[in-house]
Amino acid sequence: MQTITYRQALNETLRQELRRDPDVMLMGEEIGVFEGSYKVTAGLLNEFGPKRVLDTPIAEEGFVGMAAGAAMLGLRPVVEIMTINFSLLAIDQIVNHAAKIHYMFGGQASVPMVLRTPGGGGIQLAATHSQNFEAWYAYVPGLKVVVPSTPYDARGLLRSSIRDNDPVIFIENLALYNTKGEVPDESDDNDYTVPIGVAEVKREGTDLTIIAYSRMTVLALDVARRIEDEEGISIEVVDLRSLRPLDRPTIIESVKKTGRAVIIEEDWHSYGIGAEIAATIQEQAFDYLDAPVRRVAGVEVPLPYAKVLERAALPSDKHLTKAIRETMQGVRR
Amino acid sequence: MSQSMETPSTNHTSEQPTLPRHLQLGLSDEQVIAALCGMQRAREVDDRLWVLSRQGKAHFVITSAGHEAIQFGCGWAIRVGHDYVVPYYRDMALALALGQTSLDLLLHAMGKPTDPASGGRQMFGHFSSRKLRLVSGSSSVGSHIVHAVGLALAFRITGETDIASITFFGEGATSEGAWHEGISIAGVHQLPVVFVCENNSYAISVPLKKEVPVPDVATKAAGYGMPGVIVDGTDIFAVYETVRAAMKRARSGGGPTLVECKTHRLRPHSNSDDHTKYRPADEIAAMQEHDPIQRLLAYVVEHNLMTQEEWDAARQSIRQEVNEATTTADRVPDPPLESLFAHLYGTEEHDA
Ligand SMILES: Cc1ncc(C[n+]2csc(CCOP(=O)(O)OP(=O)(O)O)c2C)c(N)n1
Ligand SMILES: [Mg+2]
Repeated sequence: MQTITYRQALNETLRQELRRDPDVMLMGEEIGVFEGSYKVTAGLLNEFGPKRVLDTPIAEEGFVGMAAGAAMLGLRPVVEIMTINFSLLAIDQIVNHAAKIHYMFGGQASVPMVLRTPGGGGIQLAATHSQNFEAWYAYVPGLKVVVPSTPYDARGLLRSSIRDNDPVIFIENLALYNTKGEVPDESDDNDYTVPIGVAEVKREGTDLTIIAYSRMTVLALDVARRIEDEEGISIEVVDLRSLRPLDRPTIIESVKKTGRAVIIEEDWHSYGIGAEIAATIQEQAFDYLDAPVRRVAGVEVPLPYAKVLERAALPSDKHLTKAIRETMQGVRR
Repeated sequence: MSQSMETPSTNHTSEQPTLPRHLQLGLSDEQVIAALCGMQRAREVDDRLWVLSRQGKAHFVITSAGHEAIQFGCGWAIRVGHDYVVPYYRDMALALALGQTSLDLLLHAMGKPTDPASGGRQMFGHFSSRKLRLVSGSSSVGSHIVHAVGLALAFRITGETDIASITFFGEGATSEGAWHEGISIAGVHQLPVVFVCENNSYAISVPLKKEVPVPDVATKAAGYGMPGVIVDGTDIFAVYETVRAAMKRARSGGGPTLVECKTHRLRPHSNSDDHTKYRPADEIAAMQEHDPIQRLLAYVVEHNLMTQEEWDAARQSIRQEVNEATTTADRVPDPPLESLFAHLYGTEEHDA
């Protein structure tokens, strides 16, 4: 095993996939010379040249649609959108085109493209640079949506996404790029993949289940460790890893075991991923619950720039700890 | 490039051959000196923001260095508090030209509750002031120009005449769908709006050739039913003359104009950029010769509007002013937590 950052995992995986399959190509703003706004494409223009690593004009709708077109001919474009906020400029191409082409044309053409983009806040970039729109994409049949939390999963899911024959929205998180984790050494990597649509129990426990994804998984694991050490509560952490398809059995199995569930997500509270998970638990594990399902999520405001306000608006370890304690005491809100 | 409007004439000799440029344009000595000092103030605040970002006090910095002549030249052409202005993140000097202060900008950069642009909600570079009719937008490149078109439509619908909107953007923004849709609608309806492209030949690291398929952005105007004019964006007088004519044309019902001001971005795109990685060293060195402040200073000295000593003193006092503004802004307490939800929905009454 070796320890690398989330950014390195993505960068090396893109390089490996470009080497492995001549149909793979990258496109996006500032991904070539500039090496990506968050340096995920570092060195790739040099190695693969401008035909396979394409710097585009600032035209999100244009190049996302272009990727869908190229994908219909069998290329495997991996598109970078600087931040998920700007993916909204391409939403017609994502939702009305990429997601539907295979179905609406009776399976005559696939769209094997990946759209990579970071979401998330916490680094004082304010509302229009800090949003989370995974719920928007997870809502759409025809898309697959993945949200890795570790370098290992980032690598395995990126491989699966690029090799998948359907459009995949691959959501990174600004605050995860520098986080570190273990991945196999190159010599015994075995070209592993992480399947799309499979959650993982990242930590086992018996008293309560936290359901999380992306950066919130990292936060949940920290809190679970601390609470177990300090208060002796045994907490299981389910990392969703994919939002569509959603691995409902893993969630349900865990909740049946612990009888308590707290969901944490970085996006807004109402209509979020948490609402879908809570409904699923209610439908499939109601009789196993010892306490109401709780959601911890972002405050419903556009994320403000000022540090103090930003901190107050984002879900934190404090909010999660409080929700865990209350759920353990069976406190209703 | 079409030039069916009153364009800057390069030859003024027919009228008053000896009159300095600014007097020919009807600008007083004081106006020129004020603009030069304003441009220097913008540069000084710019310098300060980079320092504050290293100290962790201003999280995001975006520069207007190299664009000051465009922005102050347009400032002269805008009737402040009357015409509507829809800027982009590069327009710090424009905010100063319209009457914002160094303190206003520093409060904005530090996210203080008294930040006049947003009360600490928006990252730096989103300048706004209802009083100055300075209308801020989102952060999506190019998406704001449609608001300028909408303002112009509103003037027409409410029957307001002798007014125009003016909007600013980089050449990279002219690839965006919203840009094309907005300018197209303005052309179809011949609305009173002026489009100012601040062409610094880079969109972050991507050079002009890879963003725009023609050498001049002004060429695009032809497809949208309006004149496109190219002007040297380091020459404040040329910018003023051209934009003044375009504003006059818009206000008097003559329709929209696209003005392309060519200049250089003298500094990296933002504080998360290092442009030495993608700009040749000789290009970086050579563009310093095209600093619009130095150009106007040379004019001011040549025409005896100011002596070098007076300029040195003026710079000193601008620095002093920015020092004081920095201290003042830094001392303002952060926004109170109770204000988190303030302004989410509109409850205030606004004067039009
Ligand atoms: C929709 C959208 N896409 C991408 C970005 C990221 N971005 C910010 S500024 C910029 C470059 C814009 O270049 P240009 O229009 O030439 O203006 P300049 O910064 O050179 O003044 C980019 C790509 C963004 N803010 N919004
Ligand atoms: Mg530019």
